[in-house]
Parts: sequence; structure tokens; C-alpha cells
Amino acid sequence: MSDQRLLFQQLFEDNSKRVYHLCYGYTGDSDSANDLMQETFIKVWQNLDKFRNQSQLSTWIYRIAVNTCLSYLRTAKRRATDELNDSIIENHTEEPSEKQEQIALLYQSIAQLEENERIIITMVLDEVPYAEIAEIAGISEGNLRVKIHRIKHKLTEIYNSNERV
Amino acid sequence: MKGFEEIQQLWQKQKPDPAVSFDTVLQRIKSDKSALAKKLFWQSIVPCLVIIGLVWISLTVAFATWTTYLAVSIVIGCLCYYTVNQLIDYRQLSDSQSLLSKPQQYIHYLQGFQQRRNRFNTRHYSIYEACIALAFALYAVEMYFALSFWFFVSFIVFVVFWFLICHFVFMKQYIRQENSRIQQMIEDLQRIHEQFRDEDPADGR
Repeated sequence: MSDQRLLFQQLFEDNSKRVYHLCYGYTGDSDSANDLMQETFIKVWQNLDKFRNQSQLSTWIYRIAVNTCLSYLRTAKRRATDELNDSIIENHTEEPSEKQEQIALLYQSIAQLEENERIIITMVLDEVPYAEIAEIAGISEGNLRVKIHRIKHKLTEIYNSNERV
Repeated sequence: MKGFEEIQQLWQKQKPDPAVSFDTVLQRIKSDKSALAKKLFWQSIVPCLVIIGLVWISLTVAFATWTTYLAVSIVIGCLCYYTVNQLIDYRQLSDSQSLLSKPQQYIHYLQGFQQRRNRFNTRHYSIYEACIALAFALYAVEMYFALSFWFFVSFIVFVVFWFLICHFVFMKQYIRQENSRIQQMIEDLQRIHEQFRDEDPADGR
């Protein structure tokens, strides 16, 4: 039991930030991202005995995180949320700096992508190797490269058009 | 104008940290376990108690007609069906290996699960309602001998009125809400499923 707890603690420390980024990129708000991250690690704990060494632990955790995010459906559409900017800015300082505004704009732009695009680009931004992303997303590496190329282009366009507004 | 590399640099500089610690997650695991145990306990123990009560009534009370025993059996059958289905669905969702499968398979699994729940909550509910109506009709035979004429008529009118309200107001409302909620979920899942389709790399540019 304590071995399992130690392993779980190690997994949490090694992966929680990256999982959080994925959830944050997916949902676009920190509260939901924290909830989803918690839910992911609860599922990791519940399924720890099912890990079969067929992939890296981080890949396995990412897979659980992706599936947890995908099943997170809301009635109200959260695409391109306007509250997003405000919540990110409020969380930091009273006077948002230029950098914080750019970060808020980046999250707003990611929120305008489709669900699978959000997941993939968040991992690309976090520099997860392509082979690992392909395994997590369950698509071939060739297909992934095509998708990444498209998503990068799309995100850059959205970001720049949002910046101009 | 920013290029993708600049956007990536921006991302890597910010890194918001999660507001949830390891201890919080561990605490949630413990509280979820006990909340779940409680929920399962009530979801299975309440129908079980009702079933035991009904069996006890049919064994100790000497009903005048066999139709009442049949009515009690139908109600017990309905309760068993509902409880078993709830527990099976819960087990399927919590023990499923689908969480660890590829996203498209997971989404496909969720779609199927939602559709099954939709059928259970709507179409199967009509069968359940018909069975309960039949049970009341059978019980009315006993009431016919036990009650005075006007009491019997009042009983029948009340039951019929209640069934009509349930069927034409509550059930219709419930089915409409449930259908639109689950339909929205299924459509969302379908949309996401399409996004994870493995395309031929030669198609893209």
C-alpha cells in the first residue's frame, strides 16, 4: 500500500504540471483544469494495477488525461470564452502586464481550436515527442505530422488575428 | 505578427501551476471512495428493503385473490430489473478498460453507453410504467372485494388520474429533457470522434 502510494506520489510530482497544461489548454480555465487534473490522477490511482509496461508511464497518464478531457462535455459551449482573459489576468496581478495579456490571448486562441487540435497543440507546445503524441492520440505518426502542421498554422493565424483586434 | 516559434516561447515562459497538491488528490480519492460506497449502498439497499417488505407482506398478509400476489410479483420484478440495470451500468462505467484505450475507441464506447442509458431511461421506462399499471389493475381486483363501491370507484379514479398525469405530463417532460440532454452529448461525442479519425497523410498539406 505504501509502495503504491510512493509510486503514485512520484507520478504526481513528475506529471502533474504537464497534465495540468493539457487540461488548461483543453478547457481554457484554471478551475476546470484543476478539476480535470484531479479527476485524471484519481483515475490513474484507480488503474495503477492495470499499467502493463506496454508504454511509458507518462504516455499512459497522458492517455488517461486525454480521455478524461474528452469526456468532459458541457452544455454551454466554452469555445473562445470571453471570461478566459479576465480570469487569467485576475489571477496574477491587478494591473496585467503585456506578457500576461499575450498569455491570455494565447489561451483564448487555443480555445478556438477543435477539441483534438487543442490536445495535440498543447502537447506540441510542451515539447512532448511526436511519437509519444501519436501514441496518446491513437493516430499514426505520419498523420500526426500533417495535423500538427495544420494546427500550428491555424493557431498562429488565430493568435495574430486576435492580437489585431 | 508572431510566428509559431514565438508563440511556443510565450507558452514555455508562462507555465501556470496547478492549484492542487498531492495531498488534496489523495484526500479526494478517500472522500470519493466513501461517497461512492454510500451512493451504492443507498442505490442497492433501498430497493432491496422494499423488495423484502413486499415479500414479507405477500407472505404474512392473506390476500383474497391470486391477482394481488401476481401484482406484488410484478412490482418486485420491476424493482429488481431497475436495481440490477443501475448496478450493471455503474460497474461497466467504473471498471471499463475503455478509459485506457485510444481516444477514438473511448469516445465510441461513451457514445454507446449514452445511447444505452437513453434507451433505459426512456423506452424501457414505458415498459416499466405499463407493468406498474398492470400491477395496479390486478390489485384493483382485491380492492373490488375489500372496499365499498364508492371507495373502490374513488380508488380507481385516483389511480387512473395519477397514471394519466405521470404519463402525459411528468413522463413526457422527463423524456423530452433526457432526450435532448443525451442527444447533445451524443452529438458532441460524434463530433469529437470525427476529429480523431486517422486520415491518410497524403490528403493533408
